[in-house]
Amino acid sequence: MEKREETCTELFQFGEESEIQSLMSVVPPPETGNSFTALLELPPNQAVMLLHSPEETAPDNFTSPVLLETPNSILPNSSPNNFSLVKQEPVDSDSVHNSSPNMSDPVISKSTKRKEREKNVKSAAKKSKSIANETDGDKLPYVHVRARRGQATDSHSIAERARREKINARMKLLRELVPGCSKITGTAMVLDEIINHVQSLQRQVEFLSMRLAALHPNIDINLDNIISAESGSLMDGNGNFAGMVSPPLSNQIWQPDGLTPQPLWGVEEMNPNFITPENSLLSYDSSRSSVSLHTNQLKMEL
Amino acid sequence: MKMHTSSKLRKEFIKKWVKGLQICCSSKKNMDILERKKKIKLCADIALASAKNETTLWSIALISEAKKDDENKILVDNLLGPESRFKPRMTNRQMIACHKRVRSKKILKKSRHVCQKMKKMGPPKSNLAAYIAKKLVKRRTQVLKRLVPGGESMDKFSLIKEALDYILSLRIQVDVMRTLVNANEVLNQSDSKIYN
Repeated sequence: MEKREETCTELFQFGEESEIQSLMSVVPPPETGNSFTALLELPPNQAVMLLHSPEETAPDNFTSPVLLETPNSILPNSSPNNFSLVKQEPVDSDSVHNSSPNMSDPVISKSTKRKEREKNVKSAAKKSKSIANETDGDKLPYVHVRARRGQATDSHSIAERARREKINARMKLLRELVPGCSKITGTAMVLDEIINHVQSLQRQVEFLSMRLAALHPNIDINLDNIISAESGSLMDGNGNFAGMVSPPLSNQIWQPDGLTPQPLWGVEEMNPNFITPENSLLSYDSSRSSVSLHTNQLKMEL
Repeated sequence: MKMHTSSKLRKEFIKKWVKGLQICCSSKKNMDILERKKKIKLCADIALASAKNETTLWSIALISEAKKDDENKILVDNLLGPESRFKPRMTNRQMIACHKRVRSKKILKKSRHVCQKMKKMGPPKSNLAAYIAKKLVKRRTQVLKRLVPGGESMDKFSLIKEALDYILSLRIQVDVMRTLVNANEVLNQSDSKIYN
């Protein structure tokens, strides 16, 4: 509790804001209103806590005070003490980033779509869905958010704020992922970088597939390459496959017309204990046994 | 942990890509370069999406996009194989209804926005910068929505999560393809060595 009160007073400055400063001469104090910038005041550790709280079995810090229902004693500063509960769906356990649930209640989502331009300081606008969930594995439907001092205490805005905090936590993850993003402050610029990154990756895919198409008269020959490349990457990490690849690939020279569709001999049998490309070549069916002999000859020549 | 899942995804992707290319090739011979490129890319995309095994929204959207095209349908079905549990999430009528809903929501939003703008011609000055900031972010989220497959029907929150995952998967795809291209170049070099 005390930690949160301290963190109430921290401020974030945004690069975004400074950019806008150059355009306008007005800089709003970030504390006021439901502005986006105000919402991003929330320091990262708290946001991360909110993010991770559904995952850990018991954010006991959150649930216990609500159960007590005596807000006055706990937070003397936040004037109308509103506890708004935001419902969340269960965590998707498969996701790579341990992300928290994403969809909020339809009521809340509708309200958050409204643009709130003015503060509504209502007193005691408590939401009436108050089932505090116990430690139920990874299913914690409610995150408890407190209204902070000097901010709107409307239940809707609280819900919206909670949502925004989640979004910002995710944005942090994204920023770590995209190279060169951690230095940039401000959501718009980060989004810019992300968009550029996605676009460049997509363009690379296009370009690479064009190159692959140009390299081979028909698609089949790719198969050998892929299999060898895969075995190469299985053997020793990623880039270092050149030595592996050239001997097995040399059999391509002997197949000017490309392969007839072979049964997936290699891929099906391939497992992490895949031995050597040479062994796989030798397990070709008899029609290609001559080919493998040639490859051995080539290897010796090389 | 991340490395483990990414190498698993990588193998799945390669497997499915190979399979798809085989199917592609057996169906048609003598394609020109553009067709080949299209097929290669298509196989790669579908392989990537199906390697995800329906755990993410973008992969589902990508596959349903591919299925819409008739000539791709056969490929996709074969690729996903007999074990595919994938069924189009919505029937056609539902999809049309969904689109209609989305569109009418958009129209409503826009009209409301315009109304508010008209009303608040002199907005509270303190909020002006924040308003601009919001607008910037909004524009960019729109662009991002267009980039990520299936992004239009995601809310901002899941959009970010999907974008994260999409970036990771795209990286794997690019990595595999680049490895392949490099392998080919090595081959070509050794070819020329032999012939010279």
